[in-house]
Amino acid sequence: MASANATYGQKESSDQNFDYMFKILIIGNSSVGKTSFLFRYADDSFTPAFVSTVGIDFKVKTIYRNDKRIKLQIWDTAGQERYRTITTAYYRGAMGFILMYDITNEESFNAVQDWSTQIKTYSWDNAQVLLVGNKCDMEDERVVSGDRGRQLSEHLGFEFFEASAKDNINVKQTFERLVDIICEKMSESLDAGDPAVTGAKQGPQLTEQPAPPHQDCAC
Amino acid sequence: MDLSFLEVLERETVLEVLRRDKQLRIIEEDRIRRMKYELQELRRKGAKSYARQYGERTCARCQRPLGKFWNSGAVCRGCSHRICSKCRIGAVDWKCTVCHAYRDVKIRSGEWFLEEKAKKFPVTKDKYETVGEKLLKISNVLSHISVVPPTPPPHLDYNFLSRSGDLKNSRPFTKSMENLMVSFTSHIKKISTSQNDVREDLLSVDGGRKPARFKFSTQKSLSDTDINKSSTLFKVPSLPNLFKKSKDSDHEGSSTGAEEETSFSSEQSGGKRGSCSSISTDCSILDGLSVTGELELAVAYNPGSSCLDITVGACRALVCGDGKKKCRPFVKLHVLPDKSCKLKTSVKKNTTDPVFNEVLKFDIERHLLYGKRLQASVWHSGTLKRKVFLGEVLIPLDAWTSNNKDLQGFNWYPLCPKRPENSSGGAAEHDRVKHSSNNLGV
Repeated sequence: MASANATYGQKESSDQNFDYMFKILIIGNSSVGKTSFLFRYADDSFTPAFVSTVGIDFKVKTIYRNDKRIKLQIWDTAGQERYRTITTAYYRGAMGFILMYDITNEESFNAVQDWSTQIKTYSWDNAQVLLVGNKCDMEDERVVSGDRGRQLSEHLGFEFFEASAKDNINVKQTFERLVDIICEKMSESLDAGDPAVTGAKQGPQLTEQPAPPHQDCAC
Repeated sequence: MDLSFLEVLERETVLEVLRRDKQLRIIEEDRIRRMKYELQELRRKGAKSYARQYGERTCARCQRPLGKFWNSGAVCRGCSHRICSKCRIGAVDWKCTVCHAYRDVKIRSGEWFLEEKAKKFPVTKDKYETVGEKLLKISNVLSHISVVPPTPPPHLDYNFLSRSGDLKNSRPFTKSMENLMVSFTSHIKKISTSQNDVREDLLSVDGGRKPARFKFSTQKSLSDTDINKSSTLFKVPSLPNLFKKSKDSDHEGSSTGAEEETSFSSEQSGGKRGSCSSISTDCSILDGLSVTGELELAVAYNPGSSCLDITVGACRALVCGDGKKKCRPFVKLHVLPDKSCKLKTSVKKNTTDPVFNEVLKFDIERHLLYGKRLQASVWHSGTLKRKVFLGEVLIPLDAWTSNNKDLQGFNWYPLCPKRPENSSGGAAEHDRVKHSSNNLGV
């Protein structure tokens, strides 16, 4: 049945042909580019127009990583305060977070600490977080330097990327890195409860991933 | 939490997202259920399916005798059983087949994450239940009430959904209706109520106030309950339970599968209503054959003719007890919970990979699809009108209430074992458990 494989691709959301499913949440101030980031990753599309997200939304994307098909359910949240009750309710189910700020917006950067506290409060203890400074294509309007972003990320214990949804810089890398560190946590979690401590030689061991090619935006 | 602070359109947008999420979750739960079932099968095939006594000198998995000096087996560090060299997976840090599969299922089902999460948030009643699920339930119940008023509103559920938050501004209901609504919303505000509780509320309100008018809505919400109930039926015992049980019974020397299963189900039935029957289904499958194979369907709603068009494409890898040559499969469709209207394809002869390519149509208004499920079951048409069940697929139709292009086109669905009838009472369930455990004892 040659047609079978073709039909699988058509409808990602009902496809059961994957090894496991990860849930990821994108958070950050309003208008930092969360939705654009997700659209760039899931659909490879970009629109400069700003449309505020209502409450929550999600997209599904299946990726192939380290010999495993991983289905990602990526939740996009509204940055606006008034939706906070809805969005925080979804923290609990997320395995990893992308915490985003806008490098041209000081306020969004200052809010990172608060967002990180939200994660600590509402999410599981091993929540994996990537800090992303979006809009790195707008170098002229930059107000948050890459160094400050990196320092803050080290302080918070997150990994850090500068990215641009518009120019498609580091978008894929961000998601893939997040998937990898969730996989690492998964192996740790399994081996911790496992007297045999065998995980190192089998199973989806993804720790051998080298560090991402470019931690920062090249521009 | 409720959505009342949102504006009408916003609420509709959010609910739409929640519905999509629910669709995704149902599919995922189904996948997990099958995974756990396979694991259960694997365990069953091991030590306990043989009538032989469990002894130290046999492999705990394949029961092959182990020698004293050579091929003496080694202890699996996962389950502490002695395992022969053939039932190991991995090289140096090997595990036995069952421990390996257990770990694998834990990864693939996301169970590892649920466990991690439970460390911080002690598991509430239902670890799978999400906020979205609760919100959907509320909006469901509210929307169903909309059918009740004496003068039916021109538009059904959907529009009402958005209105239900600000009752005061909505069209004039009779006074009693308004009371009803208020009492409802207050009931539902106590949101943690399990589905059963909600249902009890419904019934008590039904008895108390406006029995005649309420009838319809009760029926509808019952069907809603059925759906939710069946979704609890998906839940195979959680992995740790399953595994713990296996360890325990492994130690019990001569314990048979039957003992294991019965004790298992009684342990479970204390906890949840659905669990008992979910186990009995798993067992009752053993009566016949294991269900495998896939069914190709395309579901589309045709607004022009108000029809749900279901194209039955093909099946592949069916398993038929009578062997490949004699398999005469056909597909039967129902839109649940209504069992009265059924559609069937023609019967294909002598194949386990039949191609149907038949379009079957259900006459149904689009908004009525909400809360309904398409049941597509595959049957073997045997001699003397005897039919053998080969598997089924349940597809929630909620997503087709809107015009969603993603949902069109063919899709392969894995066939699942039959779910127990909702109508069957406790006695029937009990019967089935007994029956299946008898079978296991053999």
